[in-house]
Amino acid sequence: MAELILKDVCKIYYKNKKPVEAVKSLNLKCRDGEFVALLGPSGCGKSTTLRMIAGLEDITSGDIYIGDRRINDLHPKDRNIGLAFENYALYPPLTVYDNIGFNLRAKKIPEKQIKEEIHKIAELLDITDLLDMKPAALSGGQKQRVNIARALIRRPEVLLLDEPLSHLDGKVRQKMRTEIKHLHTEINCTTIIVTHDQLEAMALADRIAIINQGVLQQFGTPLEVFNNPVNEFVAGFIGEPPMNIFNVVAIMENGILHFKTENSLIKFVVPEKYIRFVKEGEKYRFGIRPTDITVCREDDSYTVKTKVSVFENLGEECRIHIRLDNDNILSVVSSEIFHFKYGDEIKLKFNPERIHIFDCKTGQRIEKALQMT
Amino acid sequence: MANVRVEGIKKSFKKETVLSDISFEVKDKEFFVIFGPAGAGKTTLLNIIAGIYVPDEGHVYLNNKCIDHVEPEDRNVAMVFEDYALYPHLTVFDNIASPLRSPRYKQPEEVVKREVTRVAEILKIDWLLDRNPSELSNGQRQRVGLGRALIRSPEVFLMDEPITHLDAKLRHQMRAELKDMQRNLDTTTIYVTHDYLEALSLADRIAVINKGKIEQIGTPEEIYYKPANEFVASAFGEPEINIFNAEVVKENTELKLSIFGRKKIEIPKNIQKLVAEKEISIVRVGIRPKDIKYGFIQKNENCIIGKVYSFEPLGAKAILTVQVHNQLVQLLVPSDSEIQLNQEIFIEIDMEKTIFFDSVGNNLLASYSNVERKGVAWQN
Repeated sequence: MAELILKDVCKIYYKNKKPVEAVKSLNLKCRDGEFVALLGPSGCGKSTTLRMIAGLEDITSGDIYIGDRRINDLHPKDRNIGLAFENYALYPPLTVYDNIGFNLRAKKIPEKQIKEEIHKIAELLDITDLLDMKPAALSGGQKQRVNIARALIRRPEVLLLDEPLSHLDGKVRQKMRTEIKHLHTEINCTTIIVTHDQLEAMALADRIAIINQGVLQQFGTPLEVFNNPVNEFVAGFIGEPPMNIFNVVAIMENGILHFKTENSLIKFVVPEKYIRFVKEGEKYRFGIRPTDITVCREDDSYTVKTKVSVFENLGEECRIHIRLDNDNILSVVSSEIFHFKYGDEIKLKFNPERIHIFDCKTGQRIEKALQMT
Repeated sequence: MANVRVEGIKKSFKKETVLSDISFEVKDKEFFVIFGPAGAGKTTLLNIIAGIYVPDEGHVYLNNKCIDHVEPEDRNVAMVFEDYALYPHLTVFDNIASPLRSPRYKQPEEVVKREVTRVAEILKIDWLLDRNPSELSNGQRQRVGLGRALIRSPEVFLMDEPITHLDAKLRHQMRAELKDMQRNLDTTTIYVTHDYLEALSLADRIAVINKGKIEQIGTPEEIYYKPANEFVASAFGEPEINIFNAEVVKENTELKLSIFGRKKIEIPKNIQKLVAEKEISIVRVGIRPKDIKYGFIQKNENCIIGKVYSFEPLGAKAILTVQVHNQLVQLLVPSDSEIQLNQEIFIEIDMEKTIFFDSVGNNLLASYSNVERKGVAWQN
């Protein structure tokens, strides 16, 4: 049993004698066997958090527990944690076999048992054929497998992965991601991955903790953060192509509340569920994902009639772009392949269930912003 | 008016052959993409066209005139790089105007003003002309850099991965901007990239190169639906196309395909005819992840049983990896699909959308057999 619990964890650095809050009162509870991603832009505090869990960094205040063991003051090697970093740090003169077995030997475990353990883990990671090779002869993907095998050999209660895929390129990266996801179902070890790549976090994690400027923004399943972002930061950070987010004003027309862009290019009825939150005359940040807009033939109150600015056929999908103004483009992604060209008239339907409204000042989701005041 | 032709280009650095026998012709006003993985020789080829490198063999023609001995600065081509390095102390206007004020291309100020306005309108940055680079967003800065390259109105633009290294979100936006700009530009362009999305989106035609050789030249449609070989098929699409070995077997009078060891799958009549005529016994079968269906019951004879290996949501879509007979098959499915790891699952390959290669994957046999691809043509 190994839950990982972070309770009010803070980290303050001193830079030129001025305090810098890298992590601000972070609370996280990762279930036993759960795969959790710490996701955020560079400098957001995600790696610092991982290093505090590993014991490579002091905790300024707060507590970290593995199960019911408080590990704040434990030496890294006594925390029962496996670590795999982005740069593999394998010992070049040692074979793969000896690299994986290194930590067990240091613990003076009998050679026969070490051999058994190594073969078991090598089979799991599909590196049995590589055991006699030296790191220099391995590809990037193979090195990362060895690296993870080495982290797992000690049967840690918690496995920590720090950007394990960021050194790999395109296709190898995608294959390795699939492998790590599969591996997790086999070993079922509580796993924390640090990444700045939202696709990686979505693909791998059971739940994602999105961090910005040291503050936890949202902690939820990939589909929760994708479908119900709590604020504009999360909405913009998750999803590729990114969510369309632009300014709208709420206006009253024929007694019905409408959203419209400043230049009136886009205008449609405020969805039912937002009516009680939206005030006439107020400005809002309006968001909708490119996959939540469909090309349609009929009109209804959520339909927008406009003209195509740019059309892209990408084989698997097509993307239709509408220029909103000098700086903003509204993108639509469709897996049905249409055929448009510049200037074609088009009717777009904004799925009313999938519209996101954020407060102009705070960036909070409007339902939440009003609850808070 | 400008067409570019390269003929029999060879280039080696020390003993390493970088380009071997490259020939193609870029038509007037065409947007021609040179696509390939890192190290394929794309940038070397572009530099040879620009005159920065001299090829070991072969010739470069501009408007049917050999320009082998013309200096780079006299070729009337403009190179556009990824790194724009704007002058921080100059306004957007002055940054864009700078090439027209250089001693070599010096133009009267009224021409400068007219040209800057023209380019700024194409790039939708005319409202930013008085600002300094530090007051711009990343996307705006990219466009200003592009504007400075576009101002010279050369006969040919040579673009070397101008947006490839931006982050994915900005790339999506900049690709749309580039494509919008392209419509107003009408200048012959040769564009190098390793991003297949850029190639499919922007190109009139694509030359796929690998290890210094051309694998295929064609329109995006030809490249995507009729890839010349497995290399080309695998390079376009993510996750990449699934390719398996299949044995041609006879059942009664029908020819079928035996995949994954035993399963016999029906194949379209024209493919049956083709393999019979050519007496082919082994083929390689390619199927794109979005053209495989799945279900939890065996709907028909062609369904293949497997086990869920992993499920990776990526937003609206997810990659479903199924283990079938020791092979992994990848499908693109909606991310809200209810799927349990390790559960039994049936996959069904749409044989009308498969691509057939010969047994070593070097030659296309047939593809997308009976599908009438109405309205899916590219029009770039």
